[in-house]
Amino acid sequence: MEREERIWLGILAVVFLIVNAITLSPLVPWQSWQLWSRPEPQTSFRVNFRDYQIILPPGGIQVKAGQFVEFVATSEDVTYGLGVFRKDGKMLFQMQVVPGHENRIIWRFDEPGFYDVRSTEYSGPRHPSMVVTDAIHVIP
Amino acid sequence: MRPMDWTAKWTLRFVVMALLFLVLTTIEGEMMRVQLANPEALRSFEALMNALRPIENAPTTEELYYAMLSVHPVVGIYGFVYMAVMGAFYFLVPYLLQREVRHKSLVRVNFWLQTLGVFLCWAAGFFGMFNALYTLYWPLPVSFDRVPVVGAIVFTLGAAIVMVNILIFAFNIFGTVFGKTNGKGYTVGGFLRAAFGIPRLLKLLGREDKSAPNLDYNGLPPFIVAVARGSIDTVINATVLLSAGALILVYALAHVMGRSLNPAAIDALLYKNWYWWGLDMVADGNVLIYTAGVWYLMIPMLTGRRLYAESVVRTVIMVDLLVSMGVWSHHLLGDQVQPLSMRLISGQFITWGEIFTMGLTIFASMMTIWKARPVKISIPLLFILGSIFGFIMGAAAGIIQANVGLNVVLHNTQWVIMTHAHTLLLMGLSTLLFGVIYALLPLLTGKPVFSQKLALWHFWLWMGGAFTMTYVMGMAGTHGMLRRTLYPHPNLYQVYLNGAMIGGIVLAIGFIIFLVNLVATLKWDTLRRLIHDPEPALSAD
Repeated sequence: MEREERIWLGILAVVFLIVNAITLSPLVPWQSWQLWSRPEPQTSFRVNFRDYQIILPPGGIQVKAGQFVEFVATSEDVTYGLGVFRKDGKMLFQMQVVPGHENRIIWRFDEPGFYDVRSTEYSGPRHPSMVVTDAIHVIP
Repeated sequence: MRPMDWTAKWTLRFVVMALLFLVLTTIEGEMMRVQLANPEALRSFEALMNALRPIENAPTTEELYYAMLSVHPVVGIYGFVYMAVMGAFYFLVPYLLQREVRHKSLVRVNFWLQTLGVFLCWAAGFFGMFNALYTLYWPLPVSFDRVPVVGAIVFTLGAAIVMVNILIFAFNIFGTVFGKTNGKGYTVGGFLRAAFGIPRLLKLLGREDKSAPNLDYNGLPPFIVAVARGSIDTVINATVLLSAGALILVYALAHVMGRSLNPAAIDALLYKNWYWWGLDMVADGNVLIYTAGVWYLMIPMLTGRRLYAESVVRTVIMVDLLVSMGVWSHHLLGDQVQPLSMRLISGQFITWGEIFTMGLTIFASMMTIWKARPVKISIPLLFILGSIFGFIMGAAAGIIQANVGLNVVLHNTQWVIMTHAHTLLLMGLSTLLFGVIYALLPLLTGKPVFSQKLALWHFWLWMGGAFTMTYVMGMAGTHGMLRRTLYPHPNLYQVYLNGAMIGGIVLAIGFIIFLVNLVATLKWDTLRRLIHDPEPALSAD
C-alpha cells in the first residue's frame, strides 16, 4: 500500500470514528435515553392500527413536558408506521409498526403544544388518509 | 457503412431496449412528481388512461399513484439498468478476455426474457393496479382487500422471469470469465456452489473440491474481477427475491382457488430481514461493485494510464462482498423490534464499512486521473467524473441516515428516497451508463457521436436537474415530508415540491437531448437493421 493510500485510509478511519462517536453520544438528544440511560417511562400509551385506522387510547394522549412516555404500537393486519409531527410538519420521531409484535419507543417531549400522529409506512392506497391531527397534547 | 458484428448488434439491441425502459420510467417519474405537487393535476389524463384498463370501477388517484410507484423502480432498475449492464458486459467481457461469450444463445434468451419480465411487472401496475410497492412488506402483498390478486400474480410472475433471467446472465458471464481457466466448462450446480463460496469454504475445511471453477482471479483485469464478484451478489439477490415471489404466488393462487392461507403464519419481521438481505445485494452489492469495475475499466482506458493501486483495488473488491452481505439492517433501523445489536452492528457499523470500500475505490479512480495529467476531459470521462460526484453525494446522504440516532427523524422521509437513492441512481449510476454508451458507440458502430455540444448540454442539464430535484426534496425530507405519501394541495412542503418539479423538467430536457443525439448518431438505418437484419448462424455453444 502506497503512502497516499495509507493517508487516505487514515482520513476515512478518523471520519468513521468521529461521526459514529458523535451520533451515538447524547449530543443527539434522544440517544441519551434510547441508548444510554434507558429510563423507566412514567406513562405508557397503547396505539392500535387496523384497517387504515389509528386507534388512540380512549382518553386521548396527554403528557407532561419533560416526562418519559412510552408508546406501545400494535397492528392487526399489515405494517404501518407511528410518526409524531409538530404543527409545522417536522417529524419528532417515528417507528415501524410490525404486525405480530409489540413495537415500543420511549420519548420525552420538551415543548408543550399539540402534535399530529401520522402513519409513516405505506399500507395500501388509503395510506395518505392515516393522520390524526392534535392527537397528542403536551402540557407544561 | 461497415457491417456490425453479432456482439455489437446484440449490445446495441440491449442499449436501445434499456433506453426505451428509461423513457418509460422517466415519464412515470415526471407524472408522479406532478401528482405529488398537486394530486388533482392529472385528472383528465387519468380518465384517458382509464379507458384503456379492463376494470369496471375507475381507480382513485391514490390507486393510480401507488400502482405507478410500485412498477417505477422495477422498470428503472431491471428494465433500464440491468438491460444496459447486460448489453455492456456481453460486449466488454469477451472484448477484454479476447474470447467469445460462453453461451451465445443465452444472450438472445436474456434479451427477450428481461424484456418480457419487466413488461409483465409494468402491466401488473398499469392494468392490474398492483400497488404493494417494491418493498413487498409482509403481509401487504397478500392482503387482497388492498392489493388486487390478479395484479399480484402477474407482478410476481414477471419478477420471477426477471430473476431467473438474471441467474442465467450471471451463469453466462461466469462461464465466459472462467470457462477456460480449468480447461472445461461447468454445470449450473457448480456455478451456484461457486457463487455462494462453498468450494472456498470446503478448501478452508481441508476438503478441497478439485472440480470447482478456479475463482482466484489471478491475472484477470480488475473490471473482470468486479464483474465476477458482483455476480455473486446478483445470484443471492435473485435467489432471495425468487423465494419471496414464490411465497406471494402461493398465497395468491390459494386465494383465487377460494382457500385463503393465513398471512400470520409468516413472521413479518423475519420475512423483512430475509427480503432486505437479498434486495440489498443490489443496492449495496452489485450496483457498487459493477460501478467500481466500470470505473476501473473506463478511467485507465480514457486517460491512458494504468489503474492506480491495482493490488489494493483487488482486495477491496473481495472485502466488499463481506460488507454487502452484512448491511441489510440499515433498512430496519426504524423497526424497534429489530434487536438493537443488529441495528447497531449491521445497520450502522458494517454499513459504514462502505466508506472504506467505496472511499478506496473513488480514491484509486481519482488518483489514476490525477497521475495521468494532463488529461483531456472527453465526453465519456466527463460523465465518469459526474458519476463519481453522484456516488459521493448519494453515499454521503446514505451513511448519514444509516445511523441508529439520525434514522429516528430520517426514516421513510424524502431524504431517503431522493437525496440518497435518486442521487445515486440519477447522478451516479445513470450518468455512468451514459458515459459507457458514449464510449462504446464509436466502437460498436464505427462512427463518432453526432454532436459533442449536444452531449455537453445533456450532461449539464441532466446533472443540474437531478441535483436540484434530489436536494430540494431532501430538504423537504428534513422538514418532515414522508416518502410514499400524497399530501393534499397546497401543503406544508409545497415550495419544495414546486422546486423539485422544475428540476425534474430540466432533467427530462437533458434526456431528450441525449435521445436526439443518439438517434442522429445511429441513424434510422442502423436502428432498422437492429430489427430486420437476419441473424448469422451461431457457432455451437
